[in-house]
Amino acid sequence: MKNFQYAKAATAEEACGLSGKETRFHGGGIDLMGEMKDYIDSPSRVIDVSDLDQQITDKGDHWLIGGAVKLVAIVRHDALKKSLPGLVQSAEHVGSPQIRNVATVGGNIAQHSRCWYYRQPDVKCLKKGGSQCYACEGINKYHSIFAEGACISPLVSNLGIALSALDARVQVMRKGAVRDMSMEAFYELADVNPRAHNSLQPDDLVVSVKVPKGRKSSSYLQISEKGAFDWALVSCAAAADLQDGILRNVRLYLGVVSPIPYSREKAVAFLAGKKLNEETVAEAARLLMAKADPFEHNGYKVPMARAMAKRALLALEAS
Amino acid sequence: MSEGWPKNPKYLSKDLQRVDAHDKVTGKAEYAYDVHPKGCLYGQILRSRWPAARIQSVDLSVAQKMPGVKAVILIQKVPREVRYYGQEIAAVAAETTEQAEDAIRAIKMIAKPLPFVVNTIDALEEGAPAVFEGQSNLSKAKIRNKGNVDQAFNEAHAVIELAVSTQVEVHHPLETHGNTIDASGEEITCWASTQGITSVRGGIAKALDVPNNKVRVKMDFMGGGFGAKFGAGVEGVACAQLSREAGAPVKLMLSRFENHLSVGNRPNSLQHIKLGADKNGKLVAFDLNGFGSAGFASGGSSAGGGGGAGIPAPYIYDVRVQRSSQIGVAINAGSARAFRAPGCPPASFGIESAMDELAVKLGMDPVELRIINDPQEIRSKQWSQAADRFGWKNKYKKPGSSPGVVKTGVGCAGSKWAGRGKGSSAEVEIAPDGTVEVRCGTQDIGNASKTFMTVVAAETLGISPELITARVGDTTFPPSGGSGGSTTCPSVSPAVKDACDNALEALQEASGISDLSGANWKKACARLAPNPIIAQGKWKKGLSGSGTGGVQMAEVEVDTETGFVKVMKITCVQDCGLLVNRLTAESQMNGGIIMGIGYALYEERVLDPITGVALNPNFETYKLTSMADTPEIDLELQNMPERGVIGIGEPATVPTASAIANAVANAIGVRVLSLPITPDKVLNALSKVPAPEESIPWGRVASLTAQGEFIDLNSKEWIV
Repeated sequence: MKNFQYAKAATAEEACGLSGKETRFHGGGIDLMGEMKDYIDSPSRVIDVSDLDQQITDKGDHWLIGGAVKLVAIVRHDALKKSLPGLVQSAEHVGSPQIRNVATVGGNIAQHSRCWYYRQPDVKCLKKGGSQCYACEGINKYHSIFAEGACISPLVSNLGIALSALDARVQVMRKGAVRDMSMEAFYELADVNPRAHNSLQPDDLVVSVKVPKGRKSSSYLQISEKGAFDWALVSCAAAADLQDGILRNVRLYLGVVSPIPYSREKAVAFLAGKKLNEETVAEAARLLMAKADPFEHNGYKVPMARAMAKRALLALEAS
Repeated sequence: MSEGWPKNPKYLSKDLQRVDAHDKVTGKAEYAYDVHPKGCLYGQILRSRWPAARIQSVDLSVAQKMPGVKAVILIQKVPREVRYYGQEIAAVAAETTEQAEDAIRAIKMIAKPLPFVVNTIDALEEGAPAVFEGQSNLSKAKIRNKGNVDQAFNEAHAVIELAVSTQVEVHHPLETHGNTIDASGEEITCWASTQGITSVRGGIAKALDVPNNKVRVKMDFMGGGFGAKFGAGVEGVACAQLSREAGAPVKLMLSRFENHLSVGNRPNSLQHIKLGADKNGKLVAFDLNGFGSAGFASGGSSAGGGGGAGIPAPYIYDVRVQRSSQIGVAINAGSARAFRAPGCPPASFGIESAMDELAVKLGMDPVELRIINDPQEIRSKQWSQAADRFGWKNKYKKPGSSPGVVKTGVGCAGSKWAGRGKGSSAEVEIAPDGTVEVRCGTQDIGNASKTFMTVVAAETLGISPELITARVGDTTFPPSGGSGGSTTCPSVSPAVKDACDNALEALQEASGISDLSGANWKKACARLAPNPIIAQGKWKKGLSGSGTGGVQMAEVEVDTETGFVKVMKITCVQDCGLLVNRLTAESQMNGGIIMGIGYALYEERVLDPITGVALNPNFETYKLTSMADTPEIDLELQNMPERGVIGIGEPATVPTASAIANAVANAIGVRVLSLPITPDKVLNALSKVPAPEESIPWGRVASLTAQGEFIDLNSKEWIV
């Protein structure tokens, strides 16, 4: 990697003060160190934010989760497990125990593409300022089946999918001022700007995430090629109010199928007021996947995502 | 002096814990990676960013002046051609690894990229870019013919045809390739991560143009080789040259990324198989049309030649009438090297898939069909023995008949391997205090060499293993050859036994005590003072055997909605000849089976057809079996002392993937025809989605393979 300055921030304000166009924030460093070692990114300054807000606080109608909270803390939080099972399940599936011990909430939701063209040090793809997305014509087994833009690398953040289903809001600080972003707003730029991994600018810091408790049932599932320590091929998170088997306020998101968390209004609307059963979820899954447009090697994601959507919805009952 | 192995052993065939286990798990064990002589520099290699290019010039001048840089060398004179992504161009030694990396990146090159081909099927096409200019990418077909195949198929009761493929697998030992070499003075020392210290010595001596006796190669510990670590390698030669030029020791260990590109792999295979049987299930005809790539050097008349991608079909089965025609295809990729049972896992996958298809067509139990057609006496019994252990009769159901979304299935496959002994030598030193040192210039590639040497010495000398220290991995020890072909234990055990027998005789003579048992041992040794006794020994016929057989059975669960395969259980029955140490033999079998699961379900080198680069040179997307993926492994290691010692390291891994593939087909009722069996392929097979287009021009392959070099079927080209 190239040489860089290192600064450890004591407060979010200090971190933002140190940041600029060529700086990167360092939470657990899981994603950042890989990019730096492979010369994918070479920031002039790395700002360590791993000591910032590590609190998980019950705020009555919502949970406030600090950006520097480690995933292991979510996995081990009994009250969160009861209140937001989908969020905890999404954290449980991240990497390995060693990774969860250091990876942070902010780092997970803001993580960069895992596309193997993007991560290849000798390939200059569209996302790295090159002229083409090699995945479109190349080997796209792990890529998007819903992509609006020119880069088809999918969003792989587990927490990003679960938090989308839970309708969380992300508090982002820029130059000392905090903005509140919906999950949609947090990711939307990745769908239209091939160089973007999410909507953040280099000096935007994730300070916390607010997760409403409104939806009492939530779930997260993923399927990988291996049984552990592997990226999801498809993930799915669902959240709803479930009373007497009737679904209300449903949110349903797929991960690793699009550069952003993917949902479809028609599928969600269909679920409103329906009884949670095999028939309902099968139809919702069908509607959810109706617009899928796979590439040469990832057609399998369509039936797989359908199955994951059905199972995530059915899992609401147990949660 | 005793002849043969003892009938009632005290230490043989028992469970001696790996003698260096404690050193390994505590980090005390010193690998080539850990050796750090005073003033040691760090080496790095500049590699080709192009899959094919003509390198016009390389400017080393900037790198030479960079901070900390002590030596910069060209791997090969320019102008020259590079033929794969990752091929070595230049190397640097510097005071820190970061300085070396910066210097590598500062080297400027002028290169003309050339057309390339990284896909084996594309490389077959007429007009495909030539890996070697002006030469064909294709080797001449190797053809074997026995009897009238067409007539035999015409007369057969049942005939099946299928086309299967296997992937390129990369060795990826946990310790990457590399060395620490001190060539600063006249006496050269090389700490190598190798499975062949003697061949490394030869390679380094030749590269530096010094006599062999000026080079000492040491290997106290090494973290796996699997067939790829025999020679000095380009990186070893570069390390030695950098050390000489810098006048200081240099450590040059490859990164995981580099290890993926240029230090070997298992060739892929594409096999069009036809198999016929009579109404009793007896095989009557076999036909194989196949091709595969061993990388850039696998074309016919091109460098390397020989088409190293061939497979020993039909492997374990006896088919009187058969035809096999295979070609090697050159592509712009790193060269293949021997890989744990070369040729056998792909051959096994092809024939065992065909056997199961034939069993379905005949309406026979797959195990029954194998028993009928197995020519080897021991293995033909193992099918039933494994079936009993596994509960085959209860578990085997008609393909696809398992109910529900998550279906279960079972499959079986067999292996054969020579595992014979060959020239090895060892020496034993008995000290006046009664302790013993056993030395052999072999290696421990994970096969527990030091442990089985201790067992053999304890048994032969009649003393406790605690009095014995076994040492390997030093070219000053008696030579023993490379650790390959599962020959180490059957070669070294007899040599150690012979040395111990000779030492006993010498001790009796020197001490005047003929009964050396019990308390007499120390008494006799004390009389030696001050000098120890040193005795040599050699491998001898009769103490080792060959021709091992094994059977594995797999039970899987397949999720038909997601395509996810989980291996639930592997049962393995393996003939080991004389089992020298049961505990470490079990460990070897476990390792082979776990590796076989990776071959079945996860591992695959992916090269990009557009850019020619490796897309998964890391453990994130080159996927290895993890603990979570490892099933219950039930082993029956058959101890047959009368057969002598036989090596089992390689056969351990051969049938696993075939058995798993057959179990998947049994579960879902359709066959996934290519390895690895990933969820996408399972869903494709279940027709939940159209498969990606991959049209293999079998017609062209058939015409290409119709003419070729005939091979004498009696030759020992393959294995016994």
